[in-house]
Amino acid sequence: MQVSEIISWLINLLFYKPEVFCPIFYPGLVTILALLIFIIWLERKIAAKVQLRYGPLYVTRKAGGILQLLADLLRYMFQEPIIPKTVDKIAFIAGPVLLFATAYVPAALLPATAEFTGLRSELSLLAVLALLTLAPIFDIIIGWGSNNKFSLIGSMREGYIVMSYEIPMFLSTLAIAMVYGSLNIVEIVEMQSRCWGILLNPIAAATFLLVALISTARFPFEIAEAETEIVMGPYTEYSGILYGLLMGASYVKFYVLSMLFALLFLGGWHPSITWLEKIHPAAPGLVVFIKALIIMVFGIFLRAVYPRFRVDQAIRVGWHLLFMLSMLSIAYSLAVIWLVG
Amino acid sequence: MELPKRVVHHIEALLTGAKYLVAKPRMTVMYPEEAQILPEGYRGMPKFNREKCRSCSLCARICPANAIKMYTVEVEGEKKKKYPGINYNRCIFCGFCVDICPAGALEFTDIHDYASYSLEDLVFKPDRFAEGPPPRPFKPKLVKPMLDEEVGLKYVPG
Amino acid sequence: MSERTIELYIGPQHPGSGHMRFDITLDGDIIVKAEPSIGYVHRSVEKIAETKTYIQIAPLVERPSLADTVNPNLGYILALEKLLGIEAPPRAQYLRTLAAEANRIHSHFYGIGILGIMLGSSTAFMWAFADREIMIELLQMLTGARITYSYVIPGGVRRDLPVGFKEAAEKALRYLERRLKDYEKLFFENPVTVARLKGVGVLKKEDAIALGIVGPNLRASGVHYDVRRIEPYAAYDDLDFEVVVKKEGDSYARLMARVEEIKQSMRIIRQVLEKIPDGPILHEKYYKMIPPKTRKQIEETGRLKFPAAFATLKPPKGEALSRVEGARGEFLYYVVSDGSPRPYRFRMVSPSFRNVWLFAHLLPGHRLADIPAIYGSIDYFPPCADR
Repeated sequence: MQVSEIISWLINLLFYKPEVFCPIFYPGLVTILALLIFIIWLERKIAAKVQLRYGPLYVTRKAGGILQLLADLLRYMFQEPIIPKTVDKIAFIAGPVLLFATAYVPAALLPATAEFTGLRSELSLLAVLALLTLAPIFDIIIGWGSNNKFSLIGSMREGYIVMSYEIPMFLSTLAIAMVYGSLNIVEIVEMQSRCWGILLNPIAAATFLLVALISTARFPFEIAEAETEIVMGPYTEYSGILYGLLMGASYVKFYVLSMLFALLFLGGWHPSITWLEKIHPAAPGLVVFIKALIIMVFGIFLRAVYPRFRVDQAIRVGWHLLFMLSMLSIAYSLAVIWLVG
Repeated sequence: MELPKRVVHHIEALLTGAKYLVAKPRMTVMYPEEAQILPEGYRGMPKFNREKCRSCSLCARICPANAIKMYTVEVEGEKKKKYPGINYNRCIFCGFCVDICPAGALEFTDIHDYASYSLEDLVFKPDRFAEGPPPRPFKPKLVKPMLDEEVGLKYVPG
Repeated sequence: MSERTIELYIGPQHPGSGHMRFDITLDGDIIVKAEPSIGYVHRSVEKIAETKTYIQIAPLVERPSLADTVNPNLGYILALEKLLGIEAPPRAQYLRTLAAEANRIHSHFYGIGILGIMLGSSTAFMWAFADREIMIELLQMLTGARITYSYVIPGGVRRDLPVGFKEAAEKALRYLERRLKDYEKLFFENPVTVARLKGVGVLKKEDAIALGIVGPNLRASGVHYDVRRIEPYAAYDDLDFEVVVKKEGDSYARLMARVEEIKQSMRIIRQVLEKIPDGPILHEKYYKMIPPKTRKQIEETGRLKFPAAFATLKPPKGEALSRVEGARGEFLYYVVSDGSPRPYRFRMVSPSFRNVWLFAHLLPGHRLADIPAIYGSIDYFPPCADR
């Protein structure tokens, strides 16, 4: 009976302990990998449809080429990652790994449902935000370590853009936290069962959405990797799995921000579907995921509509528009608190 | 541009994108599974007709890329004759050879796609030139491009 | 090189450079000096031409500029016709105009598409290249080839209008008119596009004249100059069209000048199809040389057969100069004949060659990210400049 005990212990540990399940399955690693494959495929399909084309088709033709990205991923895995002689080896190799890791870690801290969450803390929102700000540092490190002018220019651009969007990001999140008087994501969501955050503070929601687009290099803010100007920006020298990690990182970050948006502004797991709980305690969290997915689809659809801004214009959007909007959202929150109490 | 106008233009751009997301048209021809039916007189790979050839070598003389060369061929019971052969490494598909041929010994085919494993394989001496370009190894579905007011190009199966 | 600046070599192996290199000196994000380094795809068209017979040069001159092929072809043939002392019959002149304008449309779409992808709008790129296909299909009906038509020959054109061409062309034009409205909403008036192009790379009128800029770039700077108007060739004299002139001279004006020119070209195509006279498509002198049996075949199919004399055209001693308004600007040809079947000297000045100095002139003072915006807006094509 030893073996079956071990198996049931393992199943219990993996699937019913939120501290383990959240980072590994949902909203953590497994979801992220599945989503990466799906969302990049969808991005290409949406762009193709608008552009009168078919997009990826030949891998699993009957399913519309949905496994194309799996094939690409496999290719990246087995392609030789070329490490040029002139690069700073430690920065060059560690950079992408840490970039992906720091983009992923905040996802592990997001709650699946009210009871089922990897991190129980009064300050979970702050923890997620703090971790989110880590990733751009590695973008700059790899740009510097690549020893390539285009990489350097790309990472400098990234640096400038980070400066311009991070303050609005914090302020708009704080604005919504102020309304609910809590920095605990679970508490914020629970309080949204009556009124969604987007209705309580639409300015903060709009600011946060724009910040999410800028920080994850969605169009029209795909500036650090602007292909026709600086080849691939910080990622110019990369190939193979290291490049795969870099490419995935911005999507992972977009996923985290979309999840956060769904949790903070779109009512999280409300309206909760209680019968799903019978399947698995984390299953009602699917509502959050679907909301986040809608945000992501909107984000990737923008690729088919917009060209890209120049870096100074994006920074102007950051300081002139978003910074002002985020200040406004704080004032709005104060007004809401003063009015409603 | 003032702000309200800019917002309107943003919305218009997004709506246009969305319109094409749900609209039908697509421009793609699934080549090589599908292939276009080419219009009459399409300047494809030329084909040589030995019976009509008068060995005047005008085709070789007008060829701007020096793709056509005259080969001396021994014909049974007759004198040696000169016939043209073509090198598709050089051919630029201007069709001058066909248009200048006074005897109509050269004519266009509608084949324009042919791949080979070696460069020598693309040199067509008179006998192979007379057979014409090799047909496609598999039969593609043929579609006829029709100019259309609504979708631009409509590919009608035909 | 001071410590403040960095030198950046953009191209020729760069996704945004095309077949050329820019030597850029950057101070922070601002360009201090830009030098286009041309010649990467030089193929020596002029010298090759001296080894070819006159008719063989016709396909050669259209190779350098693959988006715009009828116009260089036509320009060369006009010079050759001057040497030969002949002129094409009216129907052929109209057909030349038709082909040239259809080509202008698809070349402008090409330019708009490249500008789109340079700014990052993949949709503008794909749309423009898809709609370019409409005009290519139309010209394929007419000429039998997709891009390199070699349609214009000394004394006329190679093919007559095929059956059903007029209806097909009308459908294509109506489609493109409708589509241009969507382009406007999605790309031309997209606030991001406007932000990237308005006020960027302003070319003043005096500078444009002093630098010898040609084509839509010149007209976008407020200069009313179009070879089609100033020295009418083909059938342009009989046709009613406007020369598109814009005052601003910035990248956006250059883009919109092209868009307006597409509309004018459509107008010309409609007029040509309406007004086209009946008659032969080859000059009498050569038509007579064709044997009667072949002539009958030509009349049936509408597809010309060359007289044998074409293989050995020998213009009398002399020289000829011709120019045409290509899609990117003015093509100039200068041909010297010494009475042999090959030209003694052949000179071809392509519009991109004359526009290339815009890079050195316009880029300094702009940001690094403005390179693609300016590059795309002047519709520069390295192979066309290098020849």
